[in-house]
Amino acid sequence: MSGIYDLIVVGAGPGGYEAAAHAAQLGKRVALVERGRTGGACLNVGCIPTKAFLRSSRLFADCRNAQAYGVRIDGLSFDLPAVIARKNRIVGTLRRGVESMLKRAGVEVIRAHGRLASRRTVAADGRVLEARNILIATGSRPAAPPVPGIESALDSDAILDRPEIPHSLAIIGGGYIGLEFAGFFSAIGTEVTVCEMLPQVAPGVDRDIAARLVDSLEKSGVTVRTSCRVTAVNGETVHYQDEAGKAQALRVACVLNAAGRVPVTDGLGLEEIGVDFDQRGIRTSEEGRTSAPNVWACGDVTGRRLLAHAATREGVVAVNNMFGRRDRIRYHAIPSVIYTHPEIASVGCTEEELQAQGVAYRRALVPMSISGRFLVENEGATGAIKVLAGARHGEILGVHAAGDGASEFIALAATLLETEMCAADAAGIVFPHPTVCEALKSAILQVL
Amino acid sequence: MAIAVEMPKLGNTVEECLLAKWTKAKGEPVSQGEIIAEIETDKATFEVPAPASGTVLEIFFEEGALVPVFTNICVIGTPGESAAEFAPQAAAQAPAAAPAAKPDVEARPAPERAAPPGGAASPRARRFAAQHGIEIAAIRGSGPNRRILEQDVREALYSNPRRSSLARRRMAEGYEPAGAGTGVNGMLLARDLGEPGVALSRMRRTIAERMRESLAATAQYTLTSSAPAAGLLAIRRREKARQPDITINVLVMFAAIRALERMPELNAELRDGKLYRRASVHLGFACDTERGLMVPVIRNAQTLSVAELAQAAKSLTNLALSGAISPDDLAGATFTVSNLGALGVESFTPILNPPQVAILGVNAIELRAVRRQERVEYEDRIGLSLTCDHQVIDGAPGARFLRLVGECIERIESLSGLQA
Repeated sequence: MSGIYDLIVVGAGPGGYEAAAHAAQLGKRVALVERGRTGGACLNVGCIPTKAFLRSSRLFADCRNAQAYGVRIDGLSFDLPAVIARKNRIVGTLRRGVESMLKRAGVEVIRAHGRLASRRTVAADGRVLEARNILIATGSRPAAPPVPGIESALDSDAILDRPEIPHSLAIIGGGYIGLEFAGFFSAIGTEVTVCEMLPQVAPGVDRDIAARLVDSLEKSGVTVRTSCRVTAVNGETVHYQDEAGKAQALRVACVLNAAGRVPVTDGLGLEEIGVDFDQRGIRTSEEGRTSAPNVWACGDVTGRRLLAHAATREGVVAVNNMFGRRDRIRYHAIPSVIYTHPEIASVGCTEEELQAQGVAYRRALVPMSISGRFLVENEGATGAIKVLAGARHGEILGVHAAGDGASEFIALAATLLETEMCAADAAGIVFPHPTVCEALKSAILQVL
Repeated sequence: MAIAVEMPKLGNTVEECLLAKWTKAKGEPVSQGEIIAEIETDKATFEVPAPASGTVLEIFFEEGALVPVFTNICVIGTPGESAAEFAPQAAAQAPAAAPAAKPDVEARPAPERAAPPGGAASPRARRFAAQHGIEIAAIRGSGPNRRILEQDVREALYSNPRRSSLARRRMAEGYEPAGAGTGVNGMLLARDLGEPGVALSRMRRTIAERMRESLAATAQYTLTSSAPAAGLLAIRRREKARQPDITINVLVMFAAIRALERMPELNAELRDGKLYRRASVHLGFACDTERGLMVPVIRNAQTLSVAELAQAAKSLTNLALSGAISPDDLAGATFTVSNLGALGVESFTPILNPPQVAILGVNAIELRAVRRQERVEYEDRIGLSLTCDHQVIDGAPGARFLRLVGECIERIESLSGLQA
């Protein structure tokens, strides 16, 4: 097909494919250029595969703990190859689902490496495609920190297809990726050490909530080393400086590099067409505009919030704006979840952020065990939920929870932030009983 | 859909208008834009057009009634619709004498309601939308040619929760929408509100009212000239150490008093069509205080020496600055002097303080080129801006007075007895 496209999307992750489908549904002529697999990091090597892993490890942990619920299970074992096969099956199903959705929507999918030849044209393996708008959604890749020998470590992509359970594992990076793998491997019997350079793991998470996660991880056998500076990786040995600055070495069976992700901005021709970007990503506005007219960006490549659901929303917002429907993304109300056990779910400002901004606030920190359902479902586990509200009007500014079930009700908290709900009004919302999210209701009532 | 027609607000100070004439009677069909009534302010007559097509369902005021602005004066709609909900409370005391409504078989059909968005908007719809932070482009118009009516905006406002819980609380504190809502579904968020308006202090309100009254009720014009300032500067130089209160402004006030003695028609008050020439000069002088402009009054200023005038000005200024000044010291001036020269102003238009008929503005002293015979010389000159009420002071007498003030300033050393 030739002629001018209304939109060419480069990258078929959750930012790109949703944006392409949305534009097509608006009646626009859309091409989606993808060099790899449809679905991006999220579907192929991120959210979905890791959740498949964590479901299995959680089931395994529950079975080991079944006696606490009055259930006896004998002869329990963990079959990692079978877990990987299940993961691959689910990923395959979802990928085919996305592909048929794109087809139904009328998006033309082009399997090629896309490069921006100008602000109006994309070079796709020799073909030159012309478009009124270009959306860059090339995502991110695992970061390689400047540590000698880091290339010998596995990254989060590679470890998903490694069928052996390591006896011991060092994880470089205590962000959400490192912590989810720490939870997974420790649950299936691996001796796990997390090495985080910063003084706190799960950076960006409210400190009280992060502390509860660390407690739980340590209780389940994970060693967490903060202010731990990895200086070299030498085969199976990790060299690092500890908190006191002393050189230490750790011998393990396997090293995982989980030092975050970096935006994919290379090989796109961004400099030539005047798109402003740096190592953190492409600069975008709340509307998804880049510094170059007709060129838009969404998702991890913007470096704003490296979350699939943020990417999707950014892509839809960009499409709306490029076709005259005014829209903006409200970053303050984007929830985030770490799928550890317990789950960490949060939206809005942390207490530390409010303090740094000098915002006067009210605060409630409620144990999850205030909910009967939480006690029923989580034998031996603890958790907490924190609600932060404006001092004057009681508008909800942040909700942070540690406890299984939190990932499912954090969207409710996001709604409270999106609608600037004040605690006095939120108190009138009925929460079903018995549910885990009653803990949120209790916390809201405490900031009235 | 019946819609009410309001008495429009025709100016900032207009609070009510006279309903001069109904050009449509109750029960008559009207089309959009057709004139339905004539109204009068104290300045002019205006026509009220029909905001929509339909039938005049109800008329709430008789001809000759004084109606507050934004009060419903009549209702236009489809015969059979109820107009009662639009009745203003004031109408209860002034029931309309219009004939009872008869079903109008020729009434135009109700406006099409399923029109897609994109029509123009009535001024009232736009105003309502701006007041409530609603994006008007997203609204479906129900008027002719899809015109967006106020009612359409109202419906858009009330059909879903347009303000966040927080925005509602902030608006109750006086914050106002500064643009369209940017939340989910166009919801108005706290970030979409501008800063709250600050209520004026009592004193500021008084100043505002006086200034508006002054501009509304007089015929002000301002003349600007300059006078040689050598005498002023010489006195100031000589006396500064010994008598620091004898400022340039005090000397100009002294010169103005001398000029008023010779042209007393400017030392006068105009009240209710009568001009009262005052034998004594009660001199008001503008004083910049933290709370705003104050004008203390020096009584019988024509009897004071320069030193006494300086002393009086000084003590009244201190009282005004400290907020301890008595209201009696702020009333009864027959002429006012206002000085912005110290702030470098070269010329301005002082606003009259009625019932006074003139006010003298004092500007900065500047070095100016002056022609003397065949030579051009530089001279320090002080700028003077005189505002007069043309109702009683024509241009030429005003100019003569200003020249007289200039001459008095030029001769200030001998007039004041403060020669070298």
